[in-house]
Formats: sequence, C-alpha cells, structure tokens
Amino acid sequence: MDASSVRIRFTLNGQPRSAEFPADTTALKLIRDVLKLKGTKEGCGIGECGACTVIVDGKAVNSCLMLAAQLDGRTVQTIEGLGSPEALHPLQEAFVKEHAVQCGFCTPGLLMSTKALLDINPAPTRAEISKAIAGNLCRCTGYRHIFASIEDAAHTRKEQT
Amino acid sequence: MTGAHQAIGKSIERVGAREKVTGRARYSADIELGAPLVLKALRSGRPHAEILAINTEKALRIKGVAAVFTAMDIPGKNLTGIILKDQPILMGDKVRSIADPVALVAAETETTAEQALKAIEVDYRDLPPVFDPEKAMAEDAPKVHAKGNVMVSRTIRRGDVGSAFTRCKSIIEKTYRTTFIEHNTIEPDAGAGFVDSDGTLVIYASTQNPHYDHKDVVTLLGLADEKVRIIQAATGGGFGSKLDLNVQGFIGLALYHLRRPVRYVYTREEAYLGTAKRHPLSMRMKTGADENGRLLAMQATIICDTGAYASYGPAVANRAPVHATGPYAIENVDIRSYGVYTNNPFCGAMRGFGTPQIAFAHESQIDLHALDLGLDPLAMRMLNAHRVGSTTATGQVFSASVGIGDCLRAIQPHYDEARKGWTAAPAAPYKKRGVGIGAMWYGIGNTGVQNPSTARVEMDRDGSVTLFTGCADIGQGSSTVLSQIAAEILGLAPQAVRLVTADTKFTTNAGATSASRQTYISGNAVKQAAEQLADVLKTEAMNKLRVAKSALMFDGGCALVIGQPDQCVSFAELAKRIKSKGASLSWQGYFDPETVPLDPQTGQGVPYATYAFAAQLALVTVDVLTGEVAVERVVAAHDVGKAIHPESVIGQICGGVAMGLGFALMEEFEPGKTLSMKDYHIPTCADMPEVVPIIVESPEPSGPFGAKGVGEPALIPTAPAILNAIADALGVRLYALPANLERVLAASIAAGHFKPAP
Ligand code: FES
Ligand code: FES
Repeated sequence: MDASSVRIRFTLNGQPRSAEFPADTTALKLIRDVLKLKGTKEGCGIGECGACTVIVDGKAVNSCLMLAAQLDGRTVQTIEGLGSPEALHPLQEAFVKEHAVQCGFCTPGLLMSTKALLDINPAPTRAEISKAIAGNLCRCTGYRHIFASIEDAAHTRKEQT
Repeated sequence: MTGAHQAIGKSIERVGAREKVTGRARYSADIELGAPLVLKALRSGRPHAEILAINTEKALRIKGVAAVFTAMDIPGKNLTGIILKDQPILMGDKVRSIADPVALVAAETETTAEQALKAIEVDYRDLPPVFDPEKAMAEDAPKVHAKGNVMVSRTIRRGDVGSAFTRCKSIIEKTYRTTFIEHNTIEPDAGAGFVDSDGTLVIYASTQNPHYDHKDVVTLLGLADEKVRIIQAATGGGFGSKLDLNVQGFIGLALYHLRRPVRYVYTREEAYLGTAKRHPLSMRMKTGADENGRLLAMQATIICDTGAYASYGPAVANRAPVHATGPYAIENVDIRSYGVYTNNPFCGAMRGFGTPQIAFAHESQIDLHALDLGLDPLAMRMLNAHRVGSTTATGQVFSASVGIGDCLRAIQPHYDEARKGWTAAPAAPYKKRGVGIGAMWYGIGNTGVQNPSTARVEMDRDGSVTLFTGCADIGQGSSTVLSQIAAEILGLAPQAVRLVTADTKFTTNAGATSASRQTYISGNAVKQAAEQLADVLKTEAMNKLRVAKSALMFDGGCALVIGQPDQCVSFAELAKRIKSKGASLSWQGYFDPETVPLDPQTGQGVPYATYAFAAQLALVTVDVLTGEVAVERVVAAHDVGKAIHPESVIGQICGGVAMGLGFALMEEFEPGKTLSMKDYHIPTCADMPEVVPIIVESPEPSGPFGAKGVGEPALIPTAPAILNAIADALGVRLYALPANLERVLAASIAAGHFKPAP
C-alpha cells in the first residue's frame, strides 16, 4: 500500500464494502472507476449539474465534490441500489410512467435527490420538490414530467400507507 | 386505415426508459473496454497563428504515454465537415481559433495524458485575428481561410420591395443581435473504441448521425467502408452539437495506429471550448405594413458568425433568410444572408439552425407595427398568417397542413384572459406585468437539398419482426415513435417490434437526427418498409384464407378476415410459406421529401415539403428595480401534424420552452471567458414557468399518419414571446439577447420606472 493511498470501509447499497485508492480520489471516481458502478454520471465535476448525486447517510450529495475517503464508515446509496429493470423501485416506475426520461443522463442523479427527499418527507409540496431538485440540471425535459413523476410517486406512497 | 389507431397517438412506455432509470444504459464513458488508453487533445489557445513546428519528443518520453499524434499522422484526408470540408481534426499549418487541436495524446491515465499535453512544444507565429463578422467581410480583413471570409451567401427576392414600401403606413427598421449559445447537453461529448478480431475499427460515440461519422472517419483514415463501424452509444442529449465529428475522428486515428482500446471523454471545460456554438446573428430588418396591418414588404440583411469553421453554418445562413418572414405571407421581400468566417470558436447546428434568432427579429417587428398602428398584436398575426393557398417568400404555395391559424386561435382565450385579468390586476410595488406572443414556422428537413432516409423491416421464420434503422435516438424518442409506426402497419404491439438502431454495420443510412426530420422522413421510410412486408403477408394470407386482400387485417401477430376473427393465419405460418416460395421477408423503405432547390439568384424554390407551426404566449413579471424577469406562464400551441406519441411531444414542448427561456434571459457564451458551468447558466427547475402545452394537429398528407416534427419548433417562439412580454411590461424594447439583469434594468431606467422609494 502506497503512502498516499487510503483504505475505507463503508456500506454500499446495503452491502458492507471496503476499498483502497489514492488519497485524492473523489467519491465519484471511486464509484465509477474503482467500484465500476457506471450508473452515477459525471456532467461537470465541479458541483454544478447534479448528475453525480448519490445518497450518503440519507442526504443527497454531489459525489464529484466529495473525497472518497470521507465515505469511511458511512452508508452510501447509488442508483444501482434502487431497483432493476425487472423490479423497478416505485420512484423509477413513476419516472417511466410519466415519461420523465428523455436522454436520461440527468436521471440517476435526479432519482437520488428525489429519493433522499421522499425518505424524510413522503408528501412534499411542489416548493419542497423544487428545492430538492434545483441542483439537478436537465437540458431535455423542461422538468414538467419530472415534477409529475415525483408527485405521482409521493401520491402512490401515500396510498400505499 | 381510418380513425382508430392501435399504436399511433398512444403514449406508450418509451424505449430505453427502464435501462435509463436503473442506471444500466451505457453511455460512451460507461462502456467496458478493459483498460483503454485515455485520449486528450492539445488545443491552440490562440485565435490565429501559423504553426512553425511541433515537438513531441519530451511528451513521448513520459512513462505511460503511448503516442502523440499530429496532422502528419493522418493517413487519409485531414478535412472534415458535413456540408463544407474545411475543418482538419488536427491542424497542420495554422490555427484559426483558440479551440483548434494541434496534437492528440494517448496515455495510460488521465494524469499522464495531461502531463504529456504540457510537454508538447509548439512554435507559432501569431497572425492578426478578426472577431467581428462585419469587419471580417471587408476586403482587407485578415483571411481566416484562403478562399476568403464569406463562407456562403443567400438572396431571397420576390416582388418589388421599393414600390411596396411606398404603399406602407407603418415602416419599422431595427437591428437585432444574439450571442453565442452553448448546447450544454448534460452528457459531455464522449466516445470509445477497440479493434475487432477482423481488424475493423469499432467506435462507440455520443452522436446524432452515425452514418455521417462513418463517412468522415473512413475518409480521414483512408480506409474501406467495412473497416470502420460506428455504433451510437446511449447519448445524453445533442441539440445539434453532436452532429460534428467531436471525438470520433480522434478515436479512429488512435485505433488505426495503436490497435488497442481507447476512450475520449471530454471534460465539461473541453466540451465548452471544443464544440460548436449557436451562431450569433446580427439581423437588420425593415418591414412595412398598410393601415390595416397587412405586411407588404420586408428587407433584411442577416450576418451569421460561423467562427473558424463551417460546420452547419451554411445550413444556418440558408435557413435564417428562408424563415425571415416568420409564418406570415409577405409579397415583397429582399433578404440577404451571409455566413462569415472569423477567429471565434466554430458555430454549428443548434436546435433551429438560425430560426430561433430570426424569430426574435420578425416577432419584435410585428409587435412594433401593431403598436405603431394601434392594432392588437394577436389580431395582426392572425391577419398575416399563412394559410392554405398562400405563397411564401421562396414562392412555395401551401396546399395543406398550415396550422398557424389554429395555433394562434388556440392561445387566444389565454391571451384574452391574461389581458383582462392578469395584466390589469395590480402588481406588487416595483413589479410590472407584461404579456407577449411569439409565433413561428419551421421547414422540416434540410433546406432545398436531398435528405433521404432508409429503413428495413424484417420478419423471421417465427413471425417476429425487427426494425433496422440508422436513426440515432438522442433522447427525443425516435426509437419509440418508429416502432409505433411499424407496429401500426403490422397490427403488432410496439413492444413486439425488435429494434436495431444506429449501428453502421447493421443499419442503413437514416440521415442525421437534426432539422426535426426523423419522425417525418425516417417515419415515412419505416412506414414504407413495413407496408411492403404487410403486402406480401396479405398476399400470402389471401391465398391461404381464400378471401380478397381488402377483407384482411392484422392483429396480434396474425392475419385475419375482418369480422371473422376465427378465420386467421399466424405470421409464423405466413413467414414459412413466403420463404418457401422464395419471396422476401426483408423490406427496405426509402423516403426523400419532395423539394426544389433554391435558385441561386432569387432564392425561389420549394425548400421543404412540409412545415411545423407554433404560437406561444408568455406572461412575465419584471422587477423594475433589479431587472429580474420572472416568467410566470407559457402557453405553447404547436401544430405537429399528428402526435404519434403525445407525451413525447409535450416533453419536447416543455424542454423547448426551458431552452427558449435560457436563450431569452440568461444564456450567453463568451469565447475565452466562459470556461465552465460556473460561468454559464441554464434554467433549473426553479426558473421554469407553468407551461400549458397545446397540441394542434393539422395533418400533413405526405407525413406518416399525418405527422410532421416538433423538436426544434418547441424552442423557437419562446424567446420572442418573453421579449415581447418584457416590452409590454416596460414600454421599452430590447434588441439584443439575452435580456439579462443589466439590460432589463437599463431598459427599466430608460423607461423611467426605476424610482426607488426615497
Ligand atoms: S458532476 Fe458533480 S455536480 Fe456535475
Ligand atoms: S433527460 Fe436529458 S438531461 Fe435530463
């Protein structure tokens, strides 16, 4: 192990994981390049687009701005932990049903921001949704179908409980 | 087939949506290729200079650097460009913009590649640059290209403007300006590749046109067609920017020499620096109307700054003048347009090819006339709007599908309501409310030149159907729409149609995903292919079931007798019988819209077979103390001919409104200054108004099920509507975009609204 490399243990999508990497590795690089989870996207690398959003200890964060070393001991969720094409998470179901996905590059980040919101606030107002996803830029949809999906998912959740 | 469709007009689940929501879709940066070499280009950083020497020795000595390529390493023809071949992928003798690549590094890691870039030594001799297109047109201006700085020009002349102006009661002459705009697809440009076991260079790319990429790459490398295969990876948006050969040529070059996997993913900064921008236009426009508000004449001079290279500049310089009248019948026109080279970053296609810019001009003019003549702006538009039988500036006579009147009528109740209720209601202190309209027309497909598409529909022996199309779905939803069209003809569920798309090995050319052309043109090619297959199936079913062909229909993978569903035969059985007779189960469709090239002197001709139309209404609140503009509501009525997938049409409209709002209020790319996303703002969800989309269907007889297109039209009327609303609120008009805080505040001050409480 080289002097400048770091070793961490953390929980990733419900599974305990450990990883070793150079100290200056960002959380995004760890996820994409070391752990090979390609669902999390890089759109700018400087915290401006939200494509790299993951959930750390329940909070949506831009993984491009975080050092991988900061994930030590924490719980991380990425898009791969949400659902699979055969068994979609209700939120993913809503995005598909409401046609919120065009090119899809913003989608994983948006889903993670939304999941973090709905986990703490299952029935958000439009203003609360807007605040939660204002950092997730989408160049394709104009956000209408995205709001509809989130409202739909929140509504569905309400009905389920 | 009349009336009820089973697949058309239904908002079915979009192709690929499941893969995208689960993070499984593979974009170019995600494709597994072992440990590919990282590619990076050295860009000049100077606007105009001769290259005296390039020394790569130091870079090559760095451990982990596999190669450094320069123009000398290009085996074929080092000139690319879809319309005019004027852009080398690596510069040999001179650089014409700060973004020009001079060398390409292939290295083990990103860091090593960056070190290598710094170690390359280039000797330049600076040349005087020219950044202003009007100055670039002067005889003695520095020459960006040896052939001169005027890349193309276009004249459109009809009637007699001179005498028409003498009959006008209202004459308005103004100059409008727009700026460079960045596409800002959320996925930065990327591609990757490897060499297949048979020696083929396989290139995955984020692209809008794999078949054009293929042509450019084989020419660049001097290879036979079958030695290069382009596969469109999942593509994170395009909007015109991914029509150019951004990374494909670099990947091809590296594969050619190194024969090992490579990848090139642009950083956001490189995507800003190195890819096309929307052309800034300067538009001097003089129009005249009689006392009733009928537009009689237009004279215009349009200058398009194409920067260092043509890219899609010729398309912009041609489309802007053709669309300069807006969706209005004006009998007398004299319009000149110039596409001019400068040492700015190159400009290319961006959603609308010059039409969003020119719409800002014609929609401002019509409001100025309405004000001048004391007419209602909506009524004045209605009076002048094209209709069936009216003649365009190029002499084209409309025979059908002219939905502009319907679009204007669709926004009328919202307009009346806004005028009565909303603008009249008292606004908060220091806030002014305004209402504005923007209208547009947009010719579908390329301007007066061939732009065909092909497609193949094939049935297997088991009766299953596969659609092969070269059409690149970049998020707009073409794969979904094309599968709906094939499914409709064959009586199948769209999900039952297998899709093979945008892979040059397996699909034939569908042309570019641009000019809002895929639903209309590729849709027709798919329809034709499916109809040919349907016909052999029906012929065979007729023999088997012993009824007239006209008595047959398809349903759920069977041919059956209408009204007697038990009289049926499965596709699988039909397929076997057809095969055994030696007939084909694989059919190729072809469609090229009927156009007549524009006359070089007068610009007369039939540039497009069909046009989309739209009208939007914007309600804005302007803060007279800060210059802040809040767009509260946009009502967007779009004539798409027929909405094959209505929710996708709505998705295009809302996305277009967002991009139009950015164009209107906040987006401005300054070469050399706009470096990252910190310097360039695109609309977030918090900037979005309430959007009321209205789909108008004025069917196009030559369109698949009546469909036209919507991708670009969605954006075009938004900025004009917002700018007209700002003018309505302030009583003062802006003639340059964007209407940012400084400009709106200056207008507010000029109008005397800036009176903070003492
Ligand atoms: S990649 Fe992290 S915010 Fe854009
Ligand atoms: S769907 Fe393309 S960026 Fe959001």
